[in-house]
Parts: sequence; C-alpha cells; structure tokens
Amino acid sequence: MIYLDSAATSLLKPRSVGRAMTDALRYCASPGRGSHAAAMRAAEIALACREAAAELFHVEDPAQVVFTMNATHALNLAIHSLLRPGDRAVISGYEHNAVTRPLHALGAQIVTAWAPLFDRNATLAAFDRAMDGADVVIINHVSNVFGFIQPLEEVAALCSARRIPLIVDASQSAGVLPLDFSALGCEYMAMPGHKGLLGPQGTGLLLCREGASPLLYGGTGSLSREQSMPPFLPDRLEAGTHNIPGIAGLLEGIRYIMAAGTEQIDAHERRMLAIFSERLTELGVSGQFLAEDRSAQAGVLSVCPHGLECEAATEALGSAGVAVRSGLHCAPLAHASAGTLDTGTVRFSFSPFHSPEEMTAAAEISGKILGNGNKL
Amino acid sequence: MHTLIMFRSLTYAQRGARVLERAGISAAIARAPQGTTQRGCAYCVRIAGNRLHAAMHVLEDNHIPFNSVFRQREDGGYQEVQL
Repeated sequence: MIYLDSAATSLLKPRSVGRAMTDALRYCASPGRGSHAAAMRAAEIALACREAAAELFHVEDPAQVVFTMNATHALNLAIHSLLRPGDRAVISGYEHNAVTRPLHALGAQIVTAWAPLFDRNATLAAFDRAMDGADVVIINHVSNVFGFIQPLEEVAALCSARRIPLIVDASQSAGVLPLDFSALGCEYMAMPGHKGLLGPQGTGLLLCREGASPLLYGGTGSLSREQSMPPFLPDRLEAGTHNIPGIAGLLEGIRYIMAAGTEQIDAHERRMLAIFSERLTELGVSGQFLAEDRSAQAGVLSVCPHGLECEAATEALGSAGVAVRSGLHCAPLAHASAGTLDTGTVRFSFSPFHSPEEMTAAAEISGKILGNGNKL
Repeated sequence: MHTLIMFRSLTYAQRGARVLERAGISAAIARAPQGTTQRGCAYCVRIAGNRLHAAMHVLEDNHIPFNSVFRQREDGGYQEVQL
C-alpha cells in the first residue's frame, strides 16, 4: 500500500516513536502522582516533550505547552476560554468542524471571511473587512482539504494591531511549516500530535497563555485540598492521568522533526506533490486543485475527478493499493469556499517518508482510475 | 539538615531541580511533606541547608518562580524560612 492520507494521520513514523511508547508502557508510571522512580521517569518524559515543543514553536515557558487528546480538544479549550454565547468570532472560509461545531454549540456569532481558494491577498482583505468588533479571530493555517497556506503572519499582525485575540489551528502545519508562537502573538495555537509531529494518535498540544479555562475538572497532583482547578499552567488544563506512552512517542516525533528541519520536510512534501500531480496531469487527470503560486500550497492535493463519484474513486484507489480519503474531510466550510460542497474531493496528502518512486507509482495507479472518461 | 524549596507544580519543580544541578547544587525532587503546604499535594526540591542563598540566586536568574522555603529542624520537622 502507498499511504497518501497523511493529512488524516501519520501512519508512517520514525521507528523511535514506537520504541519510546513501548518503553513508557514498561517503565513509566503517572507523573505528578508520586516521587518514586517510575513516576519521575514519566515526569521527565512529560517535561522533555513540553521543552521540545516549546523550542520548536518558540514558546517562552514550557509550562505553556499543554497536553491534549488531539487538536479538536485543544481547539475546544481555546474557544471555550475566549468566547461566551453571543460573542463574535471571525473565522476563515477554510475552517474545520473542530472549530465551527464548538462555535455553534457555544452560540457564538460566526462571521466568515470568505475568500477564493489559494488567494492569500483576498483572504487577508476579507479578514480586514470582517474583523471590526470581533471578540476572537480563528484561522486554519493550512487547509486540511486543499493545502492552502493562509496568510497567518499577516492576519496575526492585523489582530495584534486591533488587540483581538487570535486562535491558530495548526493541525496541518505543525511539524511541516515554521511556526513561531511568540512572534505571532497569538493567544492559543492548537495542533494534533499524530499528524505532522509524527507522534501517536491520542496526542495533541495546546500552546497557550495564562487565563485559560478548563474543560475537564479533576486530579492534577497539585493543590489537592482545593476544589477548584489550579490557577497555573499546565495543571489548570490537564486533569486526570496523562497519556505518557503517547507523550513519549510524541517527544520522539518532535525530536525527529527538529533534527530534520521543518523547511526540509516542507520542501520534500511539496516535491512529492509536484511529482505526483505532474504525472497525473500527463495521464489526463483534470480537476486537480493546484495553486498557481506554489508557495500557497502545502503537501495536500484535492482532486474532483471528472465523471466519477469521489467515494467510488477512493474505494477503487484503495483496492489498487493507494490509501486516500474522500468526501468533505470534516470541513464543509472549505468546500463551500472552493465550490466542491456537493461533490467533495479525493484528497492525496504527503509525508516526509515518501519517495519519488512511490509518487510515480501512485500516480500511475491513480491516473488509470481518475483519468477523464474512466467509468468504474 | 536540608532545605526544601516549594514550587507551584511538578513542572516547575523539575525545571528548578535541573537548573540547580547545572549550577552544581545537588537537588532532588520530592513530594512536599505534611505541614509544608496548606493547599494539598505539591512538589518541592530538596537541597543542602547551606546552599539556599546560592540556589535562590540560580532560580531567580533563570526566572523559575518558587513559593516558599522550609528548613528542616533537628526534630525532623520543618520550619518556614522568612524570605
């Protein structure tokens, strides 16, 4: 199988990730719950992971790195910390349901900064127009459907100038594009541990500042006599036993990325995309969503195949050994922006571990299935 | 006799112990003993009694906040040090 579903989760991982998880299962207990050797080993792993993430994302204090179950959990924490019912949230037209559903559930007033796909200038102008009176701005750095790299730095500068808190959904960019939490001045940055950071599922990070509100309440190993959550990070947002095997794996994923370099990973994934899409084009596959300005697209390619339903195409691709995802990718807003809400797309997404040969092989298979006029 | 430096969380106790060790001050993380905290479970760093002033400077230089300090008495109990 050629795995081209890295935007969903990183099936391909450094070997060190699995080894670290196995070791943690054998030798680590619960951090913050004892001072014996097994508990302290777990605590050292947790701190090392916070420190590695703080270094990678330029967070001043590792205590501002909070462990979550996934990016959705992290986004819910951020949204519930900053918004109350009726508050005005300005979001991009490429947000995931992990943002829009919590906003709807909260009863927030949602204002969408609509912009055409891959048009960074229009995106920035849309945010500029919509931002007045906003209580919070939320931007998906990279669209999980199209790989569109939104103008994060520019939107962050607008937010800073108007003193509007910014939440960044870095689900598709963490570990792939450079991210500087301090320089952006954002209030929260949410990310999964299992995508670009190459860790295991069940892990995520929220980079945050003081003042966050917990979603879960319970034991933290600190201030145990008190019936309110501790006022300090990370304990305030981390009730219950940590996922130490997951965190151990995530630490190794982050270490791999720091050694490889995000610029190199980004360049590699874009090269894989280019090889794959060029061969698809040669094979007559139309309906590829490619940015004219290649700097506006990360290693994700959506295709709306001519004459084929996406689900049927994906099933055929899977049977032929190419693993991809189809449908709306939990991001109907992005499809509404791109005009694919009724069809969905077939999504190919790339990883640091793909080779050019795999891309050519995957394109040959995909070309036969997605080529114009092909009927399954 | 040793001294306990109390931190607000395990994360800060770990970071405190690390910078102290790097500065040549032997430091061990421990659960805070009864009587040293009114608010329930906490973590502290145990150092030699004669290294307190040096330790405080190291922590301050590294911007690692601590809550309070307790010195061990001869009877084994702890007495808070007024800073």
